[in-house]
Amino acid sequence: MSTTSRLWIGLGLLLASTFAVLLWVGRGIYQQAPPLPDRVVTTEGKVLFTRADLETGRQVWQSIGGQQLGSVWGHGALIAPDWSADWIHREALALLDRWSLRETGKPYAELDEAAQAALAVRLRREVRSNTYAADTGSLTVSPDRAAAIETVVAHHVSLFGDDPAMSKLRETYAMREGSVDTAGHRRQLAAFFFWTAWAATAQRPDSEVSYTSNWPYDPLVGNTPTSDAFLWTVFSVLFMLAGIALLAWHYAAWHGKEPPLTPPAQDPLASLTITPSMRATAKYFWLVIALFLTQILLGAVTAHYQVEREFYGFALSDVLPYSLSRSWHTELAVLWIATAWLGTGLYIAPAVSGHEPRFQRLGVNLLWGCLIIIVAGAFAGQWLAVMQQLGLAHNFWFGHQGWEYVDLGRFWQIFLFIGLVLWLVLMGRALWPALRRRDDLASIVGLLFLSTVCIAGFYAAGLMWGEHSHLSVVEYWRWWVVHLWVEGFFEVFAVAVVSFLFVRLGLVRARTATENVLFATIVFMAGGVLGTFHHLYFAGTTTAVIALGASFSALEVVPLALIGLEAHETWSHGRATPWMQRYRWPILFFLAVSFWNLVGAGLFGFLINTPLALYYMQGLNLTPLHGHTALFGVYGMLGLGLMLVCLRGLRAEQDWATGWLRGSFWLLNIGLSLMALLTLLPLGVLQLSAALEQGYWHARSAEFMSQPIVHLLVWMRVPGDTLFAVGALLFAAFVARLWLRRGGGSAAKAGEEA
Amino acid sequence: MIEFYPQIKAVHVAAVIASGSLFAARGLLMLVNSRWTHHAVLRYASYAIDTVLLTAALMLTSLIRQYPGTHGWLTTKVVFLAVYIVLGTFALKRARTRWGRGLCFAGALSVYLFIVSVARAHSGFGIFLRLGG
Repeated sequence: MSTTSRLWIGLGLLLASTFAVLLWVGRGIYQQAPPLPDRVVTTEGKVLFTRADLETGRQVWQSIGGQQLGSVWGHGALIAPDWSADWIHREALALLDRWSLRETGKPYAELDEAAQAALAVRLRREVRSNTYAADTGSLTVSPDRAAAIETVVAHHVSLFGDDPAMSKLRETYAMREGSVDTAGHRRQLAAFFFWTAWAATAQRPDSEVSYTSNWPYDPLVGNTPTSDAFLWTVFSVLFMLAGIALLAWHYAAWHGKEPPLTPPAQDPLASLTITPSMRATAKYFWLVIALFLTQILLGAVTAHYQVEREFYGFALSDVLPYSLSRSWHTELAVLWIATAWLGTGLYIAPAVSGHEPRFQRLGVNLLWGCLIIIVAGAFAGQWLAVMQQLGLAHNFWFGHQGWEYVDLGRFWQIFLFIGLVLWLVLMGRALWPALRRRDDLASIVGLLFLSTVCIAGFYAAGLMWGEHSHLSVVEYWRWWVVHLWVEGFFEVFAVAVVSFLFVRLGLVRARTATENVLFATIVFMAGGVLGTFHHLYFAGTTTAVIALGASFSALEVVPLALIGLEAHETWSHGRATPWMQRYRWPILFFLAVSFWNLVGAGLFGFLINTPLALYYMQGLNLTPLHGHTALFGVYGMLGLGLMLVCLRGLRAEQDWATGWLRGSFWLLNIGLSLMALLTLLPLGVLQLSAALEQGYWHARSAEFMSQPIVHLLVWMRVPGDTLFAVGALLFAAFVARLWLRRGGGSAAKAGEEA
Repeated sequence: MIEFYPQIKAVHVAAVIASGSLFAARGLLMLVNSRWTHHAVLRYASYAIDTVLLTAALMLTSLIRQYPGTHGWLTTKVVFLAVYIVLGTFALKRARTRWGRGLCFAGALSVYLFIVSVARAHSGFGIFLRLGG
């Protein structure tokens, strides 16, 4: 049996076994999710909330942007509090004050240490006891706790309305006046927040750990890290070190043993025939530029809302509130990168097989039209939802689902899924002759096709939840999309495409590339599939999630630790022959991918990866530190690099303004570094310190976020963001020049692309 | 944040002085046909200083809640900043003759000084306010 066959069998077994475990643990999440009571009642029989209140409250929360304004169980936006953590602390203080005033005549804060400790013990007993009765569906609370709950409800009803007394707090939280339309909806929203807080403190039956594994950290209510979190943190580091050692041994034993390949005398891709469908992909790249620039602009607006409601004198938040600008900023990140990759796939596929199927260009144009309609339609629905113009009845289908990165209304999700299936069909038709040839390239082409099947198919995970699915269940499937789809199968696709390019350029043997790609896929899928669970440690899940998530996600760092070897190989390819100068800039963007893979994904990712670290860091600025440097640094840079490869074929050589590309490349990298080092990292560390000292709620509180030092650090984003934006503009100008400049080699054909 | 107002203003003023001085130096180098005019170090120093200047300016507008478009003196500053940039570009690079470059250089410096006077007077008339008595 050949090495390639063995690797294919290994990959098949790995995927089968890891997905079986992923589904099996997922079943446990369905079964052991925190219960949703039929009613919340006092011991005296007074009903505080019904199940309908909790469910409608969640719909209200989703309609105003959900995870795009504050967070729940740590998942969501950085501005505005984590509503669960905030509720826990407010309710605790209200209850302590109530007892203290009644029994001593003094507020809790004025009691001596011993008296405070006595009341705190009583508080922990009260809120950690699980008083939910499965047989009656009732969650029972004491009259004192009910009064404390009502205090916090009143706070939320006022905050989400237009009470002038709360205007300053709304500005700090970047909320619009009258965020929620009616007082009834505001109360139901508060009911939903209460339930998330209850599940975060109430202990699971026969356990001393809450449904969210004691997240968020708040010693006042006895929420402290579990022993499991500590245990699996330590073991995950061990697993990672062992993995690095094993992979280093593999490299030493097997890597670079073949004699180097002599590159061809001329660029083999220079003679590539550009088919009509390949030429039609140009408009994908124009769309990429438009979406990328819009995303940056929205990012600047979103960041600015951290310091003031107005945008340099314009009342922008009246028409573009924070939850909306952030929704579009995060969605556009995925959309433009995905569009770059879809365009690359459609450009590469006929080049791989040398076959242009009938009506392929029509299909490419149709898919592009669909993408435009999806973006415009979904964003219009989200605007209507957040402005509270759509109503709850249509919100799930056409408005704002409120789930970060998959915020599109269900109708638009289905439309996008259909678009991805169309992409799969277009890719399959073009690749089919190459798949049937069974030559040296068959395995890489097979893997490329497999990744397109997975990209199209796995987006369907985003359709697995319904309008009323349990929060933990939605989170489980959401991370299938965000982690498995984006971080997993797009990665396979990218590795296969880049390897294929090097093979076609004659720099790598097909067999070697095939084995390397299959091996690399096995290595990162070994950690990647079950690594999905590291997003779910505290999302109402079980201990198995912490154990598996910590262990396997630590393995995701293993290939990143040795990425220098891959980077050196890419760099060597760039210098293999004089004509590789043609690909200097795509190669440099690929090198940037390696750099940010190490720094953004590896270092900043592992910083927040272990259960113990994430317990304190989730939802602080250390999360976007990883988010920006990994999502743009790795996938964004890769998208731009792949785009340059396609543009190299689409436009003649004399059109290339390398000075603009040089400026763009360095400004994007320096801008991203400054954004990380001047704002996100120091602000994240300050928040971490606050969380460790006083509790998670404090690190996200208005009191903390209004400090002058926090505002100063937010302002420090301007230098980095400005350089980054100029870099993006230079890239856009470079692309525009390829088509607009007169007298370019293929400029005469410009009309054909449209 | 208002606590940092004096420091931010100091950074802004220092960046204005550094930016203007660097431009003046490069302009003089241009007049004597020095190849140092476009040296990478001077160009990158100029980008860095101007980025700091812009950051501090944006911070100050937010702190004092006065913005271009709504407050005349800031609107004047932004409009003349655009004029200054255009003249500066022609002075250092785009103007075809040495005479033309020199003229643009003198114009850019005059505009620069006028912007400074607008900032000091908090009035769109700047130096002309004082001259007019």
